[in-house]
Formats: sequence, C-alpha cells, structure tokens
Amino acid sequence: MASMGAGIAGSYLGYLLQRAFLGEAKGKIKLKSTHTLAARRMADEMQALRGPAMKLGQMLSLQTGFLPDEVLAELATLQMEAPGMHPSLVRVQVKQSLGREPEEIFKQFTPEPFAAASLGQVHHAVTREGQRVAVKIQYPGIRRAIKNDFSLFRTFSKPAQASGHLPKSAIDEIEKQIVAETDYLREADNIEFLADRLAPLSFVKVPRVFREYSSDKVLTMSLMTGRHLEDFLAQRPSQKLRNQLGAHLFELFHFQVFKIEALHADPHWGNYLFNDDAGISLVDFGCVKYLSPESAAYLRSVCLYPGSTGSADFRRLLETYYEQVGEKLLPGARRALIGFADNFYRKVYPPKPEKQQLFDFGDAIFLRDFLRESKNLFRTKGVITEFIFMGRAEMGLYQTLHRLKARVPTSQIVKKFL
Amino acid sequence: MTTKKKAASKRKPGRAATAKHSAGRRAQRKAEPKRKPRHIANRPVGRRAQNKAAIRKRIVTAALSLFQTKGFDATTTKAIARKAGIAEGTVFNYFRTKEDIALHFFEQEVDQAIASVRDNPRLRKAPLEEKLFALVHSQLEFLAPYERFIGAAFIHALKPASPLGIFSHRAQELRHRYVGFVQELMDESLPKHRLSPLTFLAPEVFWIYYLGALLYWLHDSSPGKQNTLAFLDRSLSIGVSVLKQGKL
Repeated sequence: MASMGAGIAGSYLGYLLQRAFLGEAKGKIKLKSTHTLAARRMADEMQALRGPAMKLGQMLSLQTGFLPDEVLAELATLQMEAPGMHPSLVRVQVKQSLGREPEEIFKQFTPEPFAAASLGQVHHAVTREGQRVAVKIQYPGIRRAIKNDFSLFRTFSKPAQASGHLPKSAIDEIEKQIVAETDYLREADNIEFLADRLAPLSFVKVPRVFREYSSDKVLTMSLMTGRHLEDFLAQRPSQKLRNQLGAHLFELFHFQVFKIEALHADPHWGNYLFNDDAGISLVDFGCVKYLSPESAAYLRSVCLYPGSTGSADFRRLLETYYEQVGEKLLPGARRALIGFADNFYRKVYPPKPEKQQLFDFGDAIFLRDFLRESKNLFRTKGVITEFIFMGRAEMGLYQTLHRLKARVPTSQIVKKFL
Repeated sequence: MTTKKKAASKRKPGRAATAKHSAGRRAQRKAEPKRKPRHIANRPVGRRAQNKAAIRKRIVTAALSLFQTKGFDATTTKAIARKAGIAEGTVFNYFRTKEDIALHFFEQEVDQAIASVRDNPRLRKAPLEEKLFALVHSQLEFLAPYERFIGAAFIHALKPASPLGIFSHRAQELRHRYVGFVQELMDESLPKHRLSPLTFLAPEVFWIYYLGALLYWLHDSSPGKQNTLAFLDRSLSIGVSVLKQGKL
C-alpha cells in the first residue's frame, strides 16, 4: 500500500514531472540567444527535473559532456523547488508543525507566498512583537519522497557505480546533503553558525532565526532587504557598483572556504539579495557544506601556489591530500588537476599579481575553461566527494560574477585569507 | 458470526425494554404541560431535547472509545451502556444497533466537513482543488482519533450484507448528501459551457476517490500523515486539471 501511492506522492521526481504536466513550472532558464534550439530544449527538460535529479544530472553530464557548457553553468544555479501549496495546505502544515494556525501565531500572515524556496515556499508575516518576518514552509512528505528517489536511483545506476564513474560515496554525499536540506532546524543551526562566523564581513547580512516559530518544517526568519540578481541588473547598476559587489561575492566565498571552513553551498540566485550599497543579504541556508580540516588546509596550500605546477613539491601536495582522504590519485587525475591549475586557476588567480590587477569576469572564456577542466577531472575520476557541493558553489559564484560582468582583484582578496 | 448472533439475541429483550421505557416517558411528557404554566410550556421541551442530545452524545462517545480500544466486533451494546453510565434499554431508545451508532458517527463526519467548507469565508474564492482538499482533510481530521475503529469499519463496510455497507440504504443517503455537496462545489468552480461526461460523473467518482484516500490515510505510517497530505494535494490538482480540460 505504501508503494501504491509512491508514484503520486512518494517521489520527488514524480512531483517535478507532475509540475511539468500541470504547467506549474513557470520560470525558464535564461539562455543567450546564441544557443541552438536543441540545447534550449534540453535545458527546458532539465528544468523540469530540478532538485536531486538535477544535481545528479549535472554531475553525469559533466562527465559525458552531452550538455553545452552554458546550460551546465546555468544548471548549477537552479533551485530545488516543490509544488506550490494553497492556503489550506499551508495552514494544515503550520498547524501540524507548530500546533497552531499561522493566523493565531502571527499578528499578520499572508496566505499567498512571495517566493519559492528550496522544497517549500516563503510567506510574509508580522510577529506579535511587530517584527516583519519571512516564514518558510515545507511541502509535506518531501523528505521521504527524496529518499525514495535515491533508493530507486541507486538501483538503476548500478552499472555506473560498478565502473567507478559514479562512486557510491558520491551518491551518498549528494543524498546526505539533500536530505539534510529537508530539516529546517538544521538550517536554523546553519544560519546561527554563519551569522556568528560571518560577523567580520560587514557587507554581509544574515537573518535572525525565530526559534519559537520554527520547527523541522517551518522556519521563521527576519525579513531581508535587497534585490535578486535579475532585478538588480535590470536597474543598470554602474560598473563601479558591479565591481564592488563582485569583489564582495568573491571575498564572501573565499572567506568561508579559508576562514570558516564551511560555506553556503547553494548558489541559486534567489539565495542572494543585492543592495545598492554593495551589501549582500543571504536568505537560504539549507545547503551549508562543512569542510574537513584536511581539505581546508589542502585548498590553502594549493591556492596561489607560487612554484611550478610541474614541480615535485606540488605533486607531493596533491598526493598527500588524496592519501589523507583515503583516495588514490591516479596518474590521469593528477594530470587533470595540474591542467586545471594551469589552464584555469593560474589565469583567474595569478600567483604573483601586480598591484590592483583585476580579473574581468565579463569574458566568458574563463567559464568555458572552468567547465572543460571540471569535465576532465570527472572523466579521470579525480573528484573528491567532499568537493561535489563546493564545486557547484564555485561554478555558481563564477556564473554570478560573469552575469555581473565584474572586475575583481581576485588574488589580492584571496591573499588576505591564506 | 457468533458475535453477531449474540448481539442479535441480546437485542430482543433490549427492544422490549425500550418499548416499556418509552411508553412510560410518553406518559410523563403528557403530564408535564399540565404542571407548568402555558407561557413557559416549551421550555421543558427544549431542555428535554437538550437532554436527549446530551445522552445521544454520551452514547456515541462511549461507543467510539470502545470501538477504538476493544474493536468494533467485540463491543456490545451492554458495554456501551455501561461505559455511558445508562441503562442498556436507554441505548436502544436512541440507536437500534451499534452499526447505527457507527453510521451516526459517519453522518456527523460528513456534516461537519460540509459545514467547515461551506462556512469558511477563506474558502469562498478558493480554487476547486483547495475546497476539495479542505473537505477531505476535515473528514480525516474528524476521524483521526478513531483510526483503529475506522480501519475495522472499512473492512465491515466492504461486506455485502453489512448495514455499514457502502451500498446500504442509510449509507446511500449519506452518500447522496456528500456527492450533492461535491456537485455544488464543482458547479461553482467549473465553466458551465464546458459540460462533458467527465464533469457529469465527477461527483460520484469523487466519492470513490474519497474511499481510496481514506484507505491511503489508514495505511500511511509517515509522521503526521505527511504523505497523505502530499497525496491529497497532488491527486486533487491532477484531477481538477483534467476536469477543467474536460478530457483525459
């Protein structure tokens, strides 16, 4: 009986297919006009398969190269969406979770959502104390739906697992991270953790959690200000402002990796709000990746590596790290890593930068370099599972910087944290 | 079978007692107005109606708690009377059989669900799928404290000769009321000019859908029955979308 309903309610993938069938999915990937029709169609289809399937699909296509680079980059920034909830379902969900209906809990509650969130939707509300808040509410049963999909996926991806192209550890990592996103209490912990650690960056704003109005399926946070990337760009911001914002985004990313050793790893554009004073407000913390000390140390040691990437010392750095995390560094993967460093990182992050040397993210060549080298690394099985989400976040960062056409003093910023 | 026979054999003396009892009551009722002045004559009648309703409620509550803990089949009218703190004969004044009590409960379930949708100002402008969701959810919420009994009643209802049966006379009446209301909701929301065989059949089909949803709910072991919520939401949006298109 439990499996009888699996098709209709027990599968996240099922929801997404139904969304497409019911015409609920509205947004379209914004592709450049230079794209072929086939690529566009492919992107539309991938769009219908947001969420876990999308993340897996993205990984698979990285290896097989069946998607155009630009589409791949866009995929990194898609959101895990759930079907929309009507007010009656919202009320039931809140009452079940917090014991009372939203209208009883809040002084004001808007029954219609103002935004889609990962696996749910967000509503405006005002607390009894008069504080304006955003209430994120999860779609029912989504945790089990996702788990069902993964057990199915594990079954039919056996061949890819056996060949080592899709290691079990990678599926484990993706499942763990996505299932964690369904626990809003964990997200509340993430928010408080990052609010504390990001305090030194004055340009970043993190919401405050209202624990008394939160549960594993409802998350109440203070309302953040700012505009989404699209709206921000529509205002035609000056190059100076775009450069400032780009530098801030870049600093935020590397501060997290090198200083906090944990990062806000969901690069969906809806998760960042931009302000005219070049401030950034973060809004969705479902996907926060905590790095191991070894990985953080490794990243610090290879970033802006001053010597030659062909040197025995650099090779030793790579080998030691792979050994530490229990992986074997195959010769192909080693070559791919060195290629990555030479063809991408050394260009974007020059090890010996001139004073005020800016990198221009407006030029799309760097994105292609990044994707080509990522594919190479995947093909040679050199990807450490820990970096799956960080890689996606990194791709999201570059994609956003590219959209901003920002010029950023990359190496100078990174230097501060090494 | 044996329990049924037992129940039947017990019913007979019960019924006799009822007759005697009600005769006595009737005599009382006749005597009362004489004692009271005319202008407040309807007061004691109101109170009596209130008393009656209170006793009916007591019987239903007692019966449901026994159905839930002891099981529907194992519960006797005697036990119900004891639990309600009244004479067994009094029970028969209100309900002929325990199946009648169960049916009364299901009538309440449907009536309160209909009222909760009809009287909710928030739902007035809601789309059809939301109204139907609210209807079914309100029914399930009403049944929730008696889940075990509902499971047993469901099985009972599938037996062809059962008075609880989906096609029994009283259940038919209840079904008409329910289907009628669903028809009303659909008429409110669907475009009139696009009548199709689907819209014609839909209210009746909805009744069967509800039974299916009930079965899904009974088997749903997810915390807070979250899967049922998702099931209702998804299936109703698909159903209504098909209905609006007028074709499959």
